[in-house]
Amino acid sequence: MPYEVTAERIRIMAAAARVQLADESAARIAHAVTPTVARFAKENLSIPFETEPSTFTVVQRQDIGK
Amino acid sequence: MSAPLTDPALLTLTETAVAIRERKLSSVELTTALLKRIDTWQPKINAFVRTEADDALKAARDADAALARGEIKGSLHGVPLAHKDMYYSAGKIAGCGSKVREGWIAPTTSTAVARLEAAGSFRLGALHMAEFAYGPTGHNPYLGHARNPWDVTRITGGSSSGSAAAVAACLVAAALGSDTGGSIRLPAHFCGVTGFKPTYGRVSRANAMPLSFTLDTVGPLARSVDDCALIMEAIAGPDPLDATTIGAPAWDMAVASLSPRGLKIGVPTSFYVDDLEPDVAAALDATLKVCEQLGASIVKVDLPDQTAVAAAALIVLAVEATTAHAPWLRQRPQDYGAQVRARLENGLAYSAVEYLEALRWRGPALAAHLEAIGDVDVVIAPASRAVSPGIVETDVGGGSNAEATIIGITRFMRPINYLGVPTLVVPAGQSAGGMPIGLQLIGRPFGDETLIALGRAFQAVTDHHQRIPELP
Repeated sequence: MPYEVTAERIRIMAAAARVQLADESAARIAHAVTPTVARFAKENLSIPFETEPSTFTVVQRQDIGK
Repeated sequence: MSAPLTDPALLTLTETAVAIRERKLSSVELTTALLKRIDTWQPKINAFVRTEADDALKAARDADAALARGEIKGSLHGVPLAHKDMYYSAGKIAGCGSKVREGWIAPTTSTAVARLEAAGSFRLGALHMAEFAYGPTGHNPYLGHARNPWDVTRITGGSSSGSAAAVAACLVAAALGSDTGGSIRLPAHFCGVTGFKPTYGRVSRANAMPLSFTLDTVGPLARSVDDCALIMEAIAGPDPLDATTIGAPAWDMAVASLSPRGLKIGVPTSFYVDDLEPDVAAALDATLKVCEQLGASIVKVDLPDQTAVAAAALIVLAVEATTAHAPWLRQRPQDYGAQVRARLENGLAYSAVEYLEALRWRGPALAAHLEAIGDVDVVIAPASRAVSPGIVETDVGGGSNAEATIIGITRFMRPINYLGVPTLVVPAGQSAGGMPIGLQLIGRPFGDETLIALGRAFQAVTDHHQRIPELP
């Protein structure tokens, strides 16, 4: 897999979130999330600069009343 | 009516509501019959986390007395309902399937339940669920696993495990579930009931337990599409307590009653039709033929890559769930079950940029979906590639393969939550072993009523939804 989440990344992020992890958990989490992170990264998104989360609501409601 | 009034527990919600209104059946008779049936089935399937018999019978007597005075509260007058144990009712326990919230008393009532009560229903008890609605199988190490009424060695699906099992076994005519990653649709498929996940923003989530505020939806499980429509008519619509519902259209029962003649139905060319078990593929083919006979036209649709959509959905879900649980995850992690704790810990792994990219992409992804389906009204797809698997084989705990197993089970679910579109699951067949098979009717944003219309017409000419399991 070209993109791999490392246990080291997990340890740092858990510490930043102030959540204690068991020693073996970082490797487990890295293994669990790598397919999702890799698949999303592979999409190599080029989202229009002005797009924000609420753009979804605009798209969702464009047919209302038609 | 298809069932005799001598066995009121077997009536559908619609039949029940009419029978009470016409005083062919009293609310007390119905409530008593349901409580008796619960006593028989509960040890087999573990669908309820608690019943509230005394309060329910008092509410039933009050409803009967009101009716005798000519007072009808609404379309659900005198109908006992039970809901997933995450819908708050002021003064009642809402345990959310967890040890963390064991004995927690809700200070207020959820909008959805308040609206059902305003229509005349009352509470029979609370239904089993996956811990914090964060599991697709129905396993719950704290409360014991819910069991499928069609085969108690198999899973119910989750997280609305008790809602699906109770409705399938006729312990209650309808129940609220919630759907963040398939939690209404998957149990509906596995247990052979009708389930409806509305458009995101169509039903208020106020004062229901959150899992992922971007993806959470509230909807019914029942024994027919008519019954789901009756619930939707009561609960849909804007609510000042939930900003996502503001500006949403009111429920239109006239559209929900239209003929499906002229509808254009799309069948995916990939993803949702890959690697199906033969029984599931046969159910899909048979359903498309019925839709054609009903006057709909069938076309192929090439959807955007659903694996990317599913990945985005998983990132959003994971980060939002972990954020909501962060205080408890810091203070009392030992009070979570192994699987839920592991999944919450997984949510620590995603960066802020990954999360916000996943959120920002939601609008463009929906636009791409709408462009791909063109003027198609409804996309039909299986709910899962297979029927319900065994409880033992899916009991993955917090092990290293848990996430992969969960992703496999929810494969056809997650993209729909990300796109926020409405989806109706209807029973559409059974396996050679008699296990139910459900199909997803996936609509356009705010096209909820069109799905109800198609589902009603489908159930008018098929009987898959009328099967009832025998006591194991």
